[in-house]
Amino acid sequence: MGRCCGKCWHSLEYPCRNYVRCRTEGPLCHDDQRCRTLRSERIRYIKEGPNGYRIKVPLASCSIAAGAKEVLNAVKEVVESLGIPSDAVKTVGCTGLCYLDPWLELKAPGMPVALYGNVKPAEVEGILKKYFLENDVSGAYAIGERTGKAKGEGDVPTLSELDVWRLQVRYVSRNCGVVNPESIEDYIAYGGYRGLDRALRMSPEEVIEEVKKSGLRGRGGAGFPTWLKWRICRNQPSKEKYVIVNADEGDPGAFMNRLLAESDPHRVLEGLIIAGYAVGATKGFIFVRAEKPLMAERLQKAVEEARKHGILGKNILGRGFDFDVEVILSAGAFVCGEETALIAAIEGRATPRQRPPYPAVVGLWGKPTVINNVETLAHVATLMAEGWESFAAYGTERSKGTKMFCVTGAVKRTGAYEVPIGTTLRTLVERIAGGVKEGRKLKAVQIGGPSGGCVPAHLLDTPIDYESLRDAGAIMGSGGIVVMDDTACMVDVARYFTSFIVAESCGKCFPCRIGTKILYDTLTRITEGEGTLEDLEILEGVGRVVRDASLCALGGTAPNPVLSTLRHFRDEYLAHIIDKKCPAGVCTKLLKYRINPDKCVGCGTCAKHCPAGAISRDEKSGKYVIDQEKCVKCGTCVTICPVNAVMKEV
Amino acid sequence: MVRVIVNGKEVHVPEGETILTALKKAGDAVPTLCFFGHMYREASCRMCLVELSNGKLVPACAYPVSDGLEVRTDTPRVREARRTVVEFILSIHRIRCWSCPRKGGNCELLKLATAYWVEGIPVCSSCPLYGKDCLVVKGEPCLGPITLAGCGDPCPSNGSPCIGCRGPVTRRDVLEAAAQFYVSNGVELKDVLEVASMFWEGLPNYDALKVSLEEAFKKALGGGTG
Repeated sequence: MGRCCGKCWHSLEYPCRNYVRCRTEGPLCHDDQRCRTLRSERIRYIKEGPNGYRIKVPLASCSIAAGAKEVLNAVKEVVESLGIPSDAVKTVGCTGLCYLDPWLELKAPGMPVALYGNVKPAEVEGILKKYFLENDVSGAYAIGERTGKAKGEGDVPTLSELDVWRLQVRYVSRNCGVVNPESIEDYIAYGGYRGLDRALRMSPEEVIEEVKKSGLRGRGGAGFPTWLKWRICRNQPSKEKYVIVNADEGDPGAFMNRLLAESDPHRVLEGLIIAGYAVGATKGFIFVRAEKPLMAERLQKAVEEARKHGILGKNILGRGFDFDVEVILSAGAFVCGEETALIAAIEGRATPRQRPPYPAVVGLWGKPTVINNVETLAHVATLMAEGWESFAAYGTERSKGTKMFCVTGAVKRTGAYEVPIGTTLRTLVERIAGGVKEGRKLKAVQIGGPSGGCVPAHLLDTPIDYESLRDAGAIMGSGGIVVMDDTACMVDVARYFTSFIVAESCGKCFPCRIGTKILYDTLTRITEGEGTLEDLEILEGVGRVVRDASLCALGGTAPNPVLSTLRHFRDEYLAHIIDKKCPAGVCTKLLKYRINPDKCVGCGTCAKHCPAGAISRDEKSGKYVIDQEKCVKCGTCVTICPVNAVMKEV
Repeated sequence: MVRVIVNGKEVHVPEGETILTALKKAGDAVPTLCFFGHMYREASCRMCLVELSNGKLVPACAYPVSDGLEVRTDTPRVREARRTVVEFILSIHRIRCWSCPRKGGNCELLKLATAYWVEGIPVCSSCPLYGKDCLVVKGEPCLGPITLAGCGDPCPSNGSPCIGCRGPVTRRDVLEAAAQFYVSNGVELKDVLEVASMFWEGLPNYDALKVSLEEAFKKALGGGTG
């Protein structure tokens, strides 16, 4: 992204105020057709690829885990032999369609864009040849707009015909899977840093006012109005102030922050700089979970690139605003997502403290500090570029805008989807994510991670907003949604989430440290068939005190999984306690495995594989039987039996 | 100065102070465990919880006062929370009162446990006899290690063994530890049961208690002294 000619004078020492706009519309300071062509051709190259050829491969943690690097290597090997320029291969972030990973997106001039899902490295050559040489898109998962020039177009749906794409509103995730996350040039070509440019032309008060009008509320879970946090911090007399991005995403099943920061790190950074400008901060921190190294690496790279281009550092874009950002790795404790613990973690020891005073008044090193979630800041960057109206157009009366949700668990289409707030859970789970697998029944939706609650199937029409979810006994949380079908045991689910909290409790205050352990022990007792009706009272009583008396939000929400399952699935608890049965057949201590003598063919495979030696041959009938005393209930015999003769009895 | 309403009573405290200061001024004491002046005020024990007018429970020791703040110190929710926190603490507390250096009426936990009706602490916690004077150490079947505290220890104060009139401690881990203490001092199960049968025979859980005690002694005898 060099200068167009000698007349361009933008440098770190003398930053140009119109730098961002100049990159896309420029040049602005002089009128030269050659320079203009240079710019527009560069932008066309970025957006459409060399001569209209483009092969996109996603490289985010999720796609890499699914084998995207091997696919990329396979693409690189064959691409030139097909007569396609090698720079047509572009690595991008993740679109959020995780069930398709690793995918390939192909584009040739005159052809529709084609998206191929679950690509294996061995198939790459075939796919590329078919698309580029034979102009055949059959076999693709979806295509872009139909052009009428490719073979097999009629059989492949266009992306906008698919519920998974059509029902989404990609506001903050618009660049995910589109731009190369490691290139600032890409980001600017797609309209990036426009929000910062616009914010710096306003006064900080006007920026806060803009965010206020948009109605943006914190996307970390609690839903505190972002503008109010900023205003409180701005009104503090302190000269030093800080802003922090909370990228310490730790909920099981939530990965929207990682996805955003890995696929579009500059948007997060842009939001951070805007927040810093609005509150009058001098320094920003990006607090990244160390278990997400690629996210940290990409954010670090974004910070360095932004510094090189005068978007970060002294006198940003010539507007006299100094701001720098440091990326800090957390040691990966769940409690660090809590803002006072996060501050303490940067200072040196990660335990939360009593609020008030709130961090916006007394924060990092005693200075006023604003802490915002990754998604909140990405929203800020987007809405500053497009105006508050574009954001407020979505959502409900009390909660505006869109929110990203990660739908995982027993659904057909796992992924991260962005929908307007107020969309019902049913739309998200059944239409976008495709519902549960064939032959299964949806039982509950766990929303908000270990601090959230379970929403039963009959409440699936609950609109997703902060208040409605709270009434249903769950919280929005960071937006992780775990879908459970009828194979899930709700007592076991509550026990799993409580075990997570027990492990992650920092141990500072008694209710959380001891109370959650009591909850966990009681739940374990129930799942092992040793529960009594008194245990339900213990769960409720202890849960109530842990919720009310704990120091921070981690403890305050820790009993949510227990309390919400007790509320909606009490009959399952009673089945465990009174009938000593686990209706879903999950709690192994309450299970019995039995071999159906009518089906058993006497092959002896099960006896060979039984780790406990519990299966023996009945000499009379020649069939095999399980010794219940010895059985450890591992389930090996069920999977290994060639004739499906082993039954699980609940 | 800001105005704080404590249980309906108005007090004035300087700005920046905590609710605890206001409570002290109003004369409504709340229990504190972890609070230690300006050395430690991290609000981790949650004993000093009070209820605000918005229904929130907050620790008095760390919550700053603001004008017109309404505080209640004795609502059902506050009592439940405090009581449960005492239960929490006792549930992980290794109760070895007979060998605890804080015995002799100096035990904060005992005060809280009696005030909030949490069972589990034995008479030894407040017994004035220790060291060589301890009756169990002398070999007498004193029921102190397995009887609930709170009576004010009239018997051991006068040099006679505890006879268990307050009722037994039923926590298994306490019984096991007590059995070890008995065994190491040569006190036998039958002597203990003989004294215990006097007051406890009619209790509905006496049989179960007897079984637990027998098991505890068996374990202590098998596992050696401890």
